[in-house]
Amino acid sequence: MGIFTQSVRVGCTTAGVPLRLEWNGRDYVLAAEPVRWYERRRWWTEEPRAERGRGAGLVDHEVWRVQVRLEKARNSPLLTLDISHHLDSGRWRLVRIHDGAAVRLRESA
Amino acid sequence: MGGAPGFPHLHVASAFSAHYGVSWPGELAAAAAADGAEVLACTDRDGLYGTAKHVGACLGHGLDPVVGVDLAVRWGLPPAGGGSLGSAGRVVVLARGRTAGSGYRALVRLVSAAHAHTTGGAAGGSPYVTVAELADWAAGRHHGAPPELFVLLGPGSDVGQLMAARKYTAGRALLRRWKAALPAGALRVEVVCHLSPPGEKLSAAHAVRMLRAARDTRVPAVLTNAVRYATPDGAATADVLDAARALSSLETLADLQPNGQGWLKPAGPMHQVAREVCREAGAEGAGALLEATHALADACRLDPGSDLGWGRPTVPEASVIGIDGDPVTVLRQRTLAGARARFPQLYSGSRFSSSRAGRDLEDRLEHELGIITRLGFASYFLTVAEVVRMIEDMGVRVSARGSGASSLVNHLLRISAVDPMRHELVFERFLSNDRSTLPDIDVDVESARRHDVYEAIFARFGAERTTLMSMQNGYRARGAVRDAGMALGMEPEQVDTIAKQLWRFSASSFREAMDRMPELRGFAEQVESGRAAGQQQLDLLVDLTERLDRLPRHIAMHPCGVILGDASLLDRTPVQPSGIELPMSQFDKHDMDPMGMLKLDVLGVRMQSTIAYTLDEIERTTGERIDLEQVPLDDEATFGMIRTTHTLGVFQIESPGQRELIGKMAPVEFNDLIIDISLFRPGPMQSDMVRPFLEQRHGFAAARYPHPDLEPVLAETHGVTVFHEQVLRTLDTMTGCGLAKADEFRRQIGGPQEETVEACFRAAALEKGYPLDVIDEVWGTLHAFGSFGFCKAHGAAFAVPTYHSAWLKTHYPEAFLAGIFEHDPGMYPRRLMIAEARRMGIPVLPVDINASTESFRMEWVPAHPEVPGAPAHPDGGRWGIRLALTSMSGLSEREVQRIVAGQPYASLADVRDRARPTRRNLERLAQLGALDCLLPPGGASRTDLVHHLELQHAGAPAGAFGETPTGRRRTAGRRQVDGQLSLDLPDTEAQAIVPMFPPPSRDQMVRTELDLTAMDTTAHLMDSHRPYLDALGVTAAEDLLSLRSQSRVLVAGVRVATQTPPMRSGKRVVFISVDDGTGCVDASFFTEAQHETGEMLFSARLMLIEGTTRRTGPKAISLQAIRAWDLHRPETLPDPDYLDSSREAWRAWLRRDRSVARSGGARTDQGREAVPWGSGSRAPAGARPGVSRDIPHHDTGVWPVTVRGAVGLPPESSATGGDRRGAGLRGLDIHRPVPVPHPETWELLPTPED
Repeated sequence: MGIFTQSVRVGCTTAGVPLRLEWNGRDYVLAAEPVRWYERRRWWTEEPRAERGRGAGLVDHEVWRVQVRLEKARNSPLLTLDISHHLDSGRWRLVRIHDGAAVRLRESA
Repeated sequence: MGGAPGFPHLHVASAFSAHYGVSWPGELAAAAAADGAEVLACTDRDGLYGTAKHVGACLGHGLDPVVGVDLAVRWGLPPAGGGSLGSAGRVVVLARGRTAGSGYRALVRLVSAAHAHTTGGAAGGSPYVTVAELADWAAGRHHGAPPELFVLLGPGSDVGQLMAARKYTAGRALLRRWKAALPAGALRVEVVCHLSPPGEKLSAAHAVRMLRAARDTRVPAVLTNAVRYATPDGAATADVLDAARALSSLETLADLQPNGQGWLKPAGPMHQVAREVCREAGAEGAGALLEATHALADACRLDPGSDLGWGRPTVPEASVIGIDGDPVTVLRQRTLAGARARFPQLYSGSRFSSSRAGRDLEDRLEHELGIITRLGFASYFLTVAEVVRMIEDMGVRVSARGSGASSLVNHLLRISAVDPMRHELVFERFLSNDRSTLPDIDVDVESARRHDVYEAIFARFGAERTTLMSMQNGYRARGAVRDAGMALGMEPEQVDTIAKQLWRFSASSFREAMDRMPELRGFAEQVESGRAAGQQQLDLLVDLTERLDRLPRHIAMHPCGVILGDASLLDRTPVQPSGIELPMSQFDKHDMDPMGMLKLDVLGVRMQSTIAYTLDEIERTTGERIDLEQVPLDDEATFGMIRTTHTLGVFQIESPGQRELIGKMAPVEFNDLIIDISLFRPGPMQSDMVRPFLEQRHGFAAARYPHPDLEPVLAETHGVTVFHEQVLRTLDTMTGCGLAKADEFRRQIGGPQEETVEACFRAAALEKGYPLDVIDEVWGTLHAFGSFGFCKAHGAAFAVPTYHSAWLKTHYPEAFLAGIFEHDPGMYPRRLMIAEARRMGIPVLPVDINASTESFRMEWVPAHPEVPGAPAHPDGGRWGIRLALTSMSGLSEREVQRIVAGQPYASLADVRDRARPTRRNLERLAQLGALDCLLPPGGASRTDLVHHLELQHAGAPAGAFGETPTGRRRTAGRRQVDGQLSLDLPDTEAQAIVPMFPPPSRDQMVRTELDLTAMDTTAHLMDSHRPYLDALGVTAAEDLLSLRSQSRVLVAGVRVATQTPPMRSGKRVVFISVDDGTGCVDASFFTEAQHETGEMLFSARLMLIEGTTRRTGPKAISLQAIRAWDLHRPETLPDPDYLDSSREAWRAWLRRDRSVARSGGARTDQGREAVPWGSGSRAPAGARPGVSRDIPHHDTGVWPVTVRGAVGLPPESSATGGDRRGAGLRGLDIHRPVPVPHPETWELLPTPED
């Protein structure tokens, strides 16, 4: 598992759920329903300001865990990625690539 | 579920959850209503602190309120040996609604039970309930009845914690135990999902486990969002509050919220969460979860009227007040009895005299009784009368304050000392048919007896009908910056330095303040340079400080509120320990009217204690007992003293601004004092009422009335409208609307309804035939200060102790000042009052082991060449004041008691033996000279004695100084043992001290006195600077009055008061008063002078001030500062030839300034250059041509306030009123500190010289 902050482009449903993404010039499609959570940020070291009325996105950011495969090679191996969505800018970044074997897509409840 | 409107949030902490909740009830209700919710709960932590505000906000937004609490629970009482075994975590408890109050009652009693486990204060433990208590209060009223309370086990409960730790089996077992422990139907599982990362608490998985456990144990599950903030923006504030609560930095805080999703989410996202969780749990779909949630919300909807008694005043039962029969009849009997006592010439036998006055009295009484009866408030008046009677019987001074003085009934019941007939006070200002809430009757008692009075009230009415009121303490600038700094992990010293620079501004405007406040200049630069260097910490500090602004930190006992009710009081308000043995309500003063509670303000007033003490001292020294009620109100000597403006220590008229006003107004009778006190208010000051009043009073201008009909109304104030009563009468005269309606109109002026009032007024006045120009003028006046004027009843109530204290200061100055020292009633430090005594020639005698007692007492001082002041007695002696032992810091109450009990002392050993002070305190007493009386004449000096004691106590080895006089060896660090030392050290100890050192110099003595007593008794603190100040040509305070206006002077003194308005713009005035031993100098610092002076403006203690005199009346002079220096920083001080060397530059400036002043005060920016010796060239805070002057006032909350010309003058110059909308003055709070007027309002006054 590695930590990245690479930019990715993500296509979403109207409800904001990722459908497909473009990464390193290649197109991927989702192979399973993604999981979403909000992850805390250490905003007091990462941000220069925390003024009132700043709105969402200071304390946490949205993270989606997606299982994708190449769009043009439908039997390529599955990749599990964590991508974060910055509400301020609307941009998506790749934050983690999971080693397929080591990660369960869903934590068992 | 689908079509259900909104989502009913049932777990919501408001800002009243101290150090936890972020959003105010109003914000939460607005957000819920905007989303279409029908129901909203408020579940503050540990109490119902936000409940009343929540219910009010819900009613305002058309929501049904639900009330509850978030409480810690324990399975059993902690074991006797301590420890906190059996924590059950935190649960939410909701009251069942529409139960005629039984659900709410159970909640209230549960919360009180939680606090009964604590003893109050930070160290008193935190509140909790046991599961057994919870089950008891939750149970239905009878077998089979539904539960009164619902208990929600959420992620914070023990079950939730086990589930977070994936201990499913244990969790389920515990849940079954809960189910068994609570009444049937009371338990719910609370499912919360903050969409935190998998594996963390509040994740979807955590919620799923809770939901499954609920299903397995057949406990209904409901969904909440454990809300702490109305919008996502509040999440960062919640982080900072978490850090503040844990006294930790964010970086090291273990228990941060996992993310920022605890906001009041709309129905859409909540339904989404429900679907996600239910799908994961393999449950029957989100429908059941949401349905159960709605069902619980429905069961808890409150009807404020029937459940809470909303808005329905409740007073003690008649039998408790001590009456039988109809309260109305009893009230009539008692007022008639009062009339017989107060007005024997007008009411005797059972008849009113047929004179005009007798008929007036009867009419007035019938009028008041009629209104009181119609409103059903007779019991209320009898209750207050009973309290006052009880206080008088205790021998405690008591007097009503506020608008209660408007009522004849109050006067006859002895609640108020003021005769409303004589002072023409209007009852409708106090109470009328149009007011349905209980009027406030505030009584002042001696501060020193306040707790006794409280206890007596509790005893008299019973603990079940009585509780103290509380108040919320919110974050202010300094506290906010400290906690924000701690959250950011800054060095405490750094934060402390910043905090100390903050001076009375709202934390919410920190960033704005940085731009314009001179003393924050340094900090603003630090922020700037930090930002340039890529460090954002200070920027964040500012942001977080602003976020914390006003958020409640804790509740405390209100300084004066006592709640009285009937036997159901404790069913309606939760109570908790207050810190003084008596319980206090969790509701504050804003909650009283809505919650139907009767609050009595029993205010401890130090002046009342001072007066009581003074009377006792007079009796002790002269044998004469003075009854102040019998003192005539027209004593010429008293008014003479007041006119000298030497009013330090006198109630209400000792502040710098008041002394100036007194100097200008020169009061000659009691009514003048009422007017003076009423004028000295933000409204009159700001509306420029003072200048026309004084001009007309002194005959500079003729009194002018808009219409002859108004002359009777306005004559006492020379045509200027000063009092609310005059506004009422004006409205009534011109419209015939009646006084009750007039008071309603008055309240609406300045508010959103003002236009309606104006329309009514104009139409009715026109109909009565008043000309249009009169109507215009009168409306202009009403508009300008109708809502700002002062209630004459307040002024009259205040004027009584003002006059009494002035009378005592005039005729019994020693006793009065002893009372002042003893009870410290005023705004000034005690050392200023010592200086005042010195100025008056009253000897102040130092602390003495044989002569001083627990209190400041008068002492006869025989004639002595060194005692200043002319002998006031044939044998040459006079009365002085002996300082109390308590004035020395560090001496404990018991030490003082022992010293007094053992007096007199013949030797040091005697002191040690019988008084047994600590070694350190014995040294301090020696340093102060309190042991000088034990030294042999011509022998060792005070310095020798101090050395002797220090060495002895240090247990120094034998040697030159270490040998005790007796030659005995002493063991190092040996402790004193009772009764031994007198054997150890013979009586000759003091004689045997070898004189080696000279006595301390006067400067040293003063320094020691200041260190140990904070008073300079021997000499004035400034005396040590005298040579330099003389060389510089500094003017003494007492000499200022002989100078022409606009003389340039240097003055120097000890700072005794600093006052400054709250600021909304760059313009503010800082008032600093310094005392130089001959009197006080009051200096105003405008923007320019603030910049010239810099950071020391608020920090320097000894100041040298350069300024120009502003002579404003025969006895009134003040200083407009140009700049100031800190006398403790010699390197910054000017050379002794300063005045000469800058004279020419000064003259040039002064010429310009005067010429501009003559041209009507319209100085231009160009016309006024920077003072030549100053570095800045900023525009003065004064006027610009053609632009209204900004007159800031620090008590209005509005800045700047624009005054367009004068009010009360002929129409061409009359005010149309400034923009006063939103001015925070409606409902003037009489407990606020007395404001200081803006000198701008004085400047145009005629002065004798010009």
